[in-house]
Amino acid sequence: MTSKLISLSEAARRFAWDGMQYASGAALPVGSDAVIFGRELLRQKHKDLHAIFHCNSQQLNLLAAAGAVTKAECGFSALEVFGFANGLRRAVENGQLALEDYSNLSMALRFLGGALNWPFVPATVNIGSDLQDRSAFAPDDYPARSKIPAVVDPFTGREFGALKPLRPDLAAIQVTLADPTGNAIMLGTEWSRYELSRAAKKVVLIADAIVDPACIRQFPNLVRIPDIIVEAVVHWPFAAWPQGSPGMYDIDESHMAFMNMALATEEGTAAYLREFVESYDDLDSYLDLIGRDKAKALSQGSSSFLLDPYRRWILPPEDVAGLAAPELAA
Amino acid sequence: MSAALDYSRQEMMAIATGREIRDGELAIFGVGLSMLAGFFAQANHAPNLRSMTEGGVYGATPVGGLPWGIECNRISSNATSFTSALDALGFLVASGRCDVGVIGAAQVDKHGNVNTTGIWDGEIGPHYRPPKTRLPGAGGANDIACGAKRYIIMVTHEPKRFAERVTYVSSPGYLDGGDSRARHHFVGGGPSAIITTLGILRPEPGTNEFVLNGWFAFSGIEEIRANTGWNLRVSPDARLIPEPTAEELANLRKVDQTGALRKK
Repeated sequence: MTSKLISLSEAARRFAWDGMQYASGAALPVGSDAVIFGRELLRQKHKDLHAIFHCNSQQLNLLAAAGAVTKAECGFSALEVFGFANGLRRAVENGQLALEDYSNLSMALRFLGGALNWPFVPATVNIGSDLQDRSAFAPDDYPARSKIPAVVDPFTGREFGALKPLRPDLAAIQVTLADPTGNAIMLGTEWSRYELSRAAKKVVLIADAIVDPACIRQFPNLVRIPDIIVEAVVHWPFAAWPQGSPGMYDIDESHMAFMNMALATEEGTAAYLREFVESYDDLDSYLDLIGRDKAKALSQGSSSFLLDPYRRWILPPEDVAGLAAPELAA
Repeated sequence: MSAALDYSRQEMMAIATGREIRDGELAIFGVGLSMLAGFFAQANHAPNLRSMTEGGVYGATPVGGLPWGIECNRISSNATSFTSALDALGFLVASGRCDVGVIGAAQVDKHGNVNTTGIWDGEIGPHYRPPKTRLPGAGGANDIACGAKRYIIMVTHEPKRFAERVTYVSSPGYLDGGDSRARHHFVGGGPSAIITTLGILRPEPGTNEFVLNGWFAFSGIEEIRANTGWNLRVSPDARLIPEPTAEELANLRKVDQTGALRKK
């Protein structure tokens, strides 16, 4: 198979459009998520996004703060120990963004339903609560009948709920390692990246490192996203920054807090966009923005041993550059 | 004597929660205080606890302080298995296998229903409108509330958090009380305790209304009633909850290296 390596800007140009249903890598609030793809969507001025985020992350926080999202569906909408997601919160509270609430299991189940092309997924969770009775997308439907409608189990006659499957237009999925054709290995929990990769109509991988295909053949059991469902691969170290990527880099605690504080206001968001979204030209200047010393320190975290079995197959940047997809290399 | 020990109300809440967790159980913890309570139990009296996070991280104990999240490096540095949300919250919780969960609450009511979604100015009304203050949402707590055999709610004891009825049910307790939970055929049994910074509340058999079951050495029945937004009744067997022992406190602080529970 030929290489699918393309640049970040090319990936957004080719696969993103205003109004699309956009899923990020089955987002983990402070962990693996393609935060860099959200920055790129803003650089390319995308708007009116319908965000499908298993959980809020700094990416949704940023996209919402910048006014690029009008609808979102989430299981969890904060930043764990880092607190409320100020940008998302502001957009929800001022009515600019309709946030439809689910739980963390029901989001995974909805991806599973989309992946299997099921008409609905039976729900034994979310029923009996306001997750079922209240809909931000259909605010006058109360108790809501359109969100998680009641369904009768044909075997027992008992009433449960029906979850609506998800088929996002695009999923940008952050992975630890990918080969140039899009076979991917994720270190740490995969959260719902496996289900999402099958549910989304198009998948773009954002990989911390590119590995030789021999690595993939050494660990085929660990390749939970195979190349046959992947449109493109973007190589972008620190793609989840300031969030962490197990084995690769720790959470940047100070930037997590700084970013979330900035997104609490319109002025802070504008300044953040200037300094941390529009300010870099390429991967090199992005890494300069993080700070080379800081990036190095973050790479030496307590989980970095997880990467050891794979290190020998990681391709150096100059080799990756030589592997760009043919139509771009020309 | 333990009376001479210096500990915070948050530490007492975490220790009281940890005491509810038994050796050998399959347990699920959320991030933050509930994780500290769970890992305290493991360090203190439940060495064979089988713990997981909803992120599908198994066999791990935190390294370097309170984890930032259910998926972060502090909980990923000594794991024995990484799987997924569907595995942890689905195969192991929605299935009915999980013995006990611990969840937090912004607001809780007399039937143990939990709101973590938002604060509105008054009732929401028939037309759904955005909250005045948006909160984190249900996360995995709704799934634990529906699926775990029992679960414990940990919450700071303040009048605004203890309501006759929560504005929004993010995670179901006993709903309208009595057997109203039964109509949804949940595999999970419901909340077994609300453990607070002032004491312990448990559901009264039959009504499933939460009543006062215990107070701490630094609190008392009147203070707890004054900080509860419904007419809290006192169980006939309510008692003083023993203070932390020196060993319990040492085990908690081993887990809470960064002192998250000592800040308040």
